[in-house]
Amino acid sequence: MKALHILPLIPLVLGAAVAQMPNSFDASGRSTQAQSGVTNDDPNRVGETPPPQIFGMELPLLDPSNDTMSYGGGKFDIGNNALVRERFEKYLSQAPDDTEQSRLYRKNLEEILRYTQRYTKRSDTIGSKTLVKIGTGLYDLSAYPGDGGQAGALASAIVSALDVQRANRRRDNANAELDKEIDKLISKTNTLTNQNTQKGSRSSKTGRGGGGSGYTSHTYLIAANTSKIAEKKAKQGANEASSQASLPIAKVNYQAVVVGLLLQRRYDHAVIGARVYRHVFKDGNTRVDLDKESDAYKMFTGISGMPPTINTIDTMASNARREVDQSIDAVYGALAQNKLGEATNRLITAVATGEYMQSVATFPAKERQRIAEYWRLRKRALTSLNARDYATVEQIATEMKKMDVDFDDSLLLTHTTGKKRQSDFALRAAQKALREGNEEEFKRLATEAAIIWPRNPNLDKGEKEIARLDSYEPQKEEFRVLYDRKDFRTIYKERERFEVVAFDPELKKKYTEVIEHVGRIDAMLAELKSVAEQDRTIGPSAAYEKLYEMKEADSRYAEDKPFMDEFNRYASEAHDFVTALRDAADAASRSEYGSALSCYYRARCFFPKSNLANKGIKTVTQVIVDAQY
Amino acid sequence: MARASRRGRGKKKNMTPLIVGGLLLLVVLLAGMLFFKPSARSSSSPKPFNIAQYRQDGSRFASTGNRYVLEGKVDSIESHGNNRLIAVSMSNNRNERLPLLLLGTTKLQINITRGDTFIFDVSCRTGRDASGNEVKGILVVNDVTTK
Repeated sequence: MKALHILPLIPLVLGAAVAQMPNSFDASGRSTQAQSGVTNDDPNRVGETPPPQIFGMELPLLDPSNDTMSYGGGKFDIGNNALVRERFEKYLSQAPDDTEQSRLYRKNLEEILRYTQRYTKRSDTIGSKTLVKIGTGLYDLSAYPGDGGQAGALASAIVSALDVQRANRRRDNANAELDKEIDKLISKTNTLTNQNTQKGSRSSKTGRGGGGSGYTSHTYLIAANTSKIAEKKAKQGANEASSQASLPIAKVNYQAVVVGLLLQRRYDHAVIGARVYRHVFKDGNTRVDLDKESDAYKMFTGISGMPPTINTIDTMASNARREVDQSIDAVYGALAQNKLGEATNRLITAVATGEYMQSVATFPAKERQRIAEYWRLRKRALTSLNARDYATVEQIATEMKKMDVDFDDSLLLTHTTGKKRQSDFALRAAQKALREGNEEEFKRLATEAAIIWPRNPNLDKGEKEIARLDSYEPQKEEFRVLYDRKDFRTIYKERERFEVVAFDPELKKKYTEVIEHVGRIDAMLAELKSVAEQDRTIGPSAAYEKLYEMKEADSRYAEDKPFMDEFNRYASEAHDFVTALRDAADAASRSEYGSALSCYYRARCFFPKSNLANKGIKTVTQVIVDAQY
Repeated sequence: MARASRRGRGKKKNMTPLIVGGLLLLVVLLAGMLFFKPSARSSSSPKPFNIAQYRQDGSRFASTGNRYVLEGKVDSIESHGNNRLIAVSMSNNRNERLPLLLLGTTKLQINITRGDTFIFDVSCRTGRDASGNEVKGILVVNDVTTK
């Protein structure tokens, strides 16, 4: 199963190995495939058999269980593979190949296939006339542009093989003739030799000399025949050598064409070539002669575990044809159920596996349009994800969810939500750094937030902050004037505008002082207001005393208008308490210590926990008891 | 004659208003003295005490020998050496506390306890601190009786 999926991807690798690499990377250097949920560092890969290689390049392995492909140590979504994507998009944009010419082409191709199938089933031997007919039919097919000349190439291979076979037969016939001629010459030579022997014995018995001329004549003939025999045997040897040399070459040429057709996903052609092979080369040896050290040999043995044969190619091509048709059936089924994602994945597999198959080539335009729309969204999602445009990704995920009942948007949404929050957190930290006057940290964090989510709408605020950094001199001057006038309240009211002065270490201290001072006042006033409202009897006295103590401790409080307004208001509301305290102080200043103590006692009656009253009581009491009367 | 008689009648009439006027003036003077100078009372008869006036100007009560009677509840007692300072809340005004100094030299027949009401016989005195400065308007307890 896996082996069948590898085959269609082989030409993709051969055609554009570079395109197999991840086509984009994020800032951290990780591939977008990894971002889309397909990781390069899958721990399950430990102990896996490494993918086979061909011509020094690793072959991608398709895992049908999750539509991922292993390549270059990583796992990739086949829908996000650059080359597959390109081919698939081209396919979607094309009109179905359903012209009269294409129908005729496929009809003739099917006819040739059935023709070879018939002979295969009957195990008959195809005669040379039949082979010529197949070759002629293939030549006719090559006239169709969509064939890409592949049928012609196969036809040429068949014809070339037949030519070699014919040449061999001619040489065999010639050798047979030579055999006959050699036999005749041997027979003649034997006769002449016998005659020579007989003549020699007669002349010795009669005692006549001078019979030398007849003897000499036979001897020459014998020598000439012997020479001719040697020449003809040499010719025979040459013919045999030629036959033995041309046959393997013809086989290799033929096999190369068939293997090439398989690699180019021309499965119909490959099946025809494989089935015709045994009728062209009748020696019964169907083994594909590949160098055992070659990558191609390793590829075949890696897939089937057996040495490659023509029958292996036949089986592979036949199964691939069946798989493609099943994938297309699955596409129709998924579309009927409104499962666009499933349909898209199955169609990608079908196109990648058998782009030239009839079921793929004639896939209807309307259905292609539906899948193209879904594919466009998927592509936009990947592009947006790569661009870290998370708002758009979420929008696309919603659209895809509407189109595909099975679409699981949780992974995308979880990813985008996480990234958006990460960016916002960085921005918040940047703003905090800005408030603390740490410009370097602010820039670093703002940049980090922009990298994580470049289109974060909150980045505009960061830009404004940066712009303010560039033009904060006027604010510094204005701040100095207000600070010297002790107009802290104005600074506090416009503290965000004056925040930039904090980049100046000297002004930062003053800025912090002002913000803390006025903030403390406001916090205290709010707290005292609550206290005064809770207890109308004691509350105003307590509030007055607190503000009085603050004012006495720090003269700056008396310069704050809201502070003094509240102080006076509480003084009015706690009139008896305040009057008692003032009278006590006045009496003490006149040495009227009895009256002073009495006033302090009165003040304590209005606010029993009064620090001022208790402190006065303690002081005056000491004076009274220490005096002499 | 008639003239003499008119003179004689006129003389009689003029004497009566003078006598009445003199008596009225005497009464006003006595009333004024009573109002403006309480310390002028005899030390042998204790008088009621105006705490509001005391808070304003205690030394006004400090004429030698003047004594006052106060009824109050003991709010607190602080001991400082032999002396004790007693804070008394007035029965007619719970927002007032009057400080009374009980010198160690004063011998009392009863124990003063916190929370109980007593009648205090006090006199207003001016003391001197270690530097010789005046310590004015201090109410010193002469005697204490239970209510």
